[in-house]
Amino acid sequence: MKERKGLIFGSVILIVVFIIMFIKGEPSKNIMVWIAAILTLSIYSFLYKDNVFYKFAEHLFVGVSVGYSVSVVWQNAFIRRVFDPLFITRTYIVDGKFSLYLFLAIVIPTLLGMLMVSIFTKKHGWLIRIPIAFVVGSYAGMGIAPSFQAYIFEQTQSTLYVTLSISSFIMIVGVITTLVYFFFSKEHKGFLGKTAGVGIWFIMVAFGASFGYTVMARISLLIGRMNFLLHDWLGVIK
Amino acid sequence: MRRQIPLLLTFLTGVAIIISFFIPHKPFNEVQDMLLDWTIIIAGFAMLLGIYSLLNKHITHIKRKDAGWGYSIILTSFFIGVFIVGIISAVRYKGYSLSPGSSLYYVYDYMVIPLSATMFSLLAFFIASAAYRAFRANKLNATLLLVAAVIVMLGRVPVVENAFFRFLTRFSDWFMFIPQMAAKRGIQIGVALGMFAMSLRIILGIERTYLQ
Amino acid sequence: MNILLVFLFLIQQTPDSLPVDTAQVTEIVRPAPPTNVIAKDTPNDAGGSISVEWDISADDGKGLKNVNLYNVYKSKTEEGKFDYVGTVGAARTSYDDQSVEKDNKGYYYIVKAQTKEGVESEPSNISSGKSQAQWFHHGRWAYLILGVIFTLFFVLYIRMAKGKKLFIRKIAGLDAVEDAVGRSTEMGRPVLFVPGIGLLSDIATIAALTILGKVAKKTAEYETRVIMPNYDPLVMSAAQEVVKQSYTEAGRPDSFNEKDIFYLTQDQFGYAAGVDGIMLREKPGAIFLQGIFYAEALILAETGHSVGAIQIAGTDRVTQLPFFISACDYTLIGEEMFAASSYLSRDPIMMGSIKGEDASKLVLIIVIMVGTVLGILGGLHLGLFENWFSNLINWFARG
Repeated sequence: MKERKGLIFGSVILIVVFIIMFIKGEPSKNIMVWIAAILTLSIYSFLYKDNVFYKFAEHLFVGVSVGYSVSVVWQNAFIRRVFDPLFITRTYIVDGKFSLYLFLAIVIPTLLGMLMVSIFTKKHGWLIRIPIAFVVGSYAGMGIAPSFQAYIFEQTQSTLYVTLSISSFIMIVGVITTLVYFFFSKEHKGFLGKTAGVGIWFIMVAFGASFGYTVMARISLLIGRMNFLLHDWLGVIK
Repeated sequence: MRRQIPLLLTFLTGVAIIISFFIPHKPFNEVQDMLLDWTIIIAGFAMLLGIYSLLNKHITHIKRKDAGWGYSIILTSFFIGVFIVGIISAVRYKGYSLSPGSSLYYVYDYMVIPLSATMFSLLAFFIASAAYRAFRANKLNATLLLVAAVIVMLGRVPVVENAFFRFLTRFSDWFMFIPQMAAKRGIQIGVALGMFAMSLRIILGIERTYLQ
Repeated sequence: MNILLVFLFLIQQTPDSLPVDTAQVTEIVRPAPPTNVIAKDTPNDAGGSISVEWDISADDGKGLKNVNLYNVYKSKTEEGKFDYVGTVGAARTSYDDQSVEKDNKGYYYIVKAQTKEGVESEPSNISSGKSQAQWFHHGRWAYLILGVIFTLFFVLYIRMAKGKKLFIRKIAGLDAVEDAVGRSTEMGRPVLFVPGIGLLSDIATIAALTILGKVAKKTAEYETRVIMPNYDPLVMSAAQEVVKQSYTEAGRPDSFNEKDIFYLTQDQFGYAAGVDGIMLREKPGAIFLQGIFYAEALILAETGHSVGAIQIAGTDRVTQLPFFISACDYTLIGEEMFAASSYLSRDPIMMGSIKGEDASKLVLIIVIMVGTVLGILGGLHLGLFENWFSNLINWFARG
């Protein structure tokens, strides 16, 4: 029943749109623009309620994006990094000599990757942990230095650029109280509790500012889509 | 044994990368880039599992005629369709299916981008409803958040051109620069320390949940 | 008549009629060359690079003020032909030559100043240098020291933790996990776990998986369904293992449904659209939004709110936290998420690592306070403190 209501509602909107189009605008002749416009409206229908159009657009979106992602990932992983270097450009042959190091640099990850498929076997399913362990270990190591550099060092250094002003004072108080809020070892009571309380105020204020900052950016996205619908599709706006 | 080997591998790769950060000499300077390449290749194989999971789920829906099985047909057919387009593009462009002008690129331009942009633009509506709810909430924290949001919002887009709004713009710039930055720094330092501790736990094998 | 006279006069002024001996002789003025050229190994690299430094020419910014650039030349022998290698602008005093073919071999460098018109100075003094690969990156001492100190805290507290009960402060979001799953069970609805759009490479995603392990244990105990759509297939594989283990540990291995932990799509908004659809159709009683999120965070949180679920979010993305706080019932802010595994398991070793984190935080707070005091005293121009202060800042700037 609800589905039928949604269908009727959606059809009414479509009819209204068609009428506007015929009266005022120059609709696009490109079928792909039409498809994009119908999909756009279907997604917007989500704001009203879950309905046929949205479900259709959603499943289409997921299907198309997976098909597309597969091509991107396999192009990046297999073509560019395995197939090409191994069979076409043969990067492991340097000056006519076979370089074991470069050869293994292609073969080892391929073998590690193939272990992923072991999950389909009952007995050797545990082998999948090996490539997982490799990926996690690599990124655990890789994450440490940049986070030190960007966050701990740079942030501490910037905070240390202190001048005799109220702004600096607020900055120092803000950073220290926020750090105290994240103190886990002691109960937030007494002096520690009050400091942490100031910290969470700073955090809330910071989040609010961040929130307000993004509002305009989000509204401009909406304007962008409206522009597509009214200008590119219907030609109502020149 | 089944647990030991993966943990050992985690330890070795983690330590290898940390050491290579401090040693510019060959071959250590290439270690990080090489291992990064390897993880991309592994991700390619992981995609096989992802596709299997997706197709398995939806084809089962279709076979059993669960509720909404029609949509599963839509999803599966579009996936197969775009996949075939991807193969055709790959064959035409010698493996690089995403070259501008290929059919796959066309699909991306006229389907993925409009759909993504529309979803993205939904945020305009959601940000309004989130703000409205924060407005009605009684908690001190939510009020602080909202007041700060309004100040910055009005400062960014002055509604009227007068002295008050000019002050507000300058104030909101200062606001973003000092208090907002202060809290952001505190959070980021905390996050960096948390990440450091977690990375250390993972490399040392104390944190094992992901390897179950 | 007058016009004719003026015309004749004017003709006389044209260059063609000027006598030869008054032709202008433009003297080519060469700028002064740069001085004190030194060529040496570029530090902290894998070899293959020599740095050339010099003092600016006497005509750069002063004197004739006509220097526009500096050209660097290289030769394999002291008296041999010098080939051009590169250029930097005026007022610059160094250049890194990365085209060095062999390490540990001497190359000879000269530098010439050049004007805008392309007139070069005499060559500077010749300097020779060799390139070398370094075994240790000396700019990164600060990282090593701080890293070692933090690791020591870590190890120290872990040792102290064994056998002792350590305290960790209340984190509301994590306490609510059990209640959330319980509520979901009472309403007869499933639990939805959204691991965000991070990859297994992100630490926050791994933190999300540890939270998943605890959530799955509860859903196993209460016999509630847990649904988990995934952005990344590798995360999906790891998640399937995690949930399977949790169900096994809770004594309900048969209740584990692998199909509920599935791959959705690797497209940011495709994922958001799909998860929204799942929220609307499955109507979960509890939603966990844990991991890495970007702009789609608010879409997910708002949709989740609209279906009436209790939402517990957690992320380290500072830009998305405001949206989670405004739309979710509980939010784990940054580091609180990483503390989840220790908090929920109360494992002594993990608790020790949390204490180590806190000790490191204390060190940084003290550094900031010391820096502030030094800065204030330095700002009052008390010489000694100014020195200490700038040393402190520079130490943090290394690397």
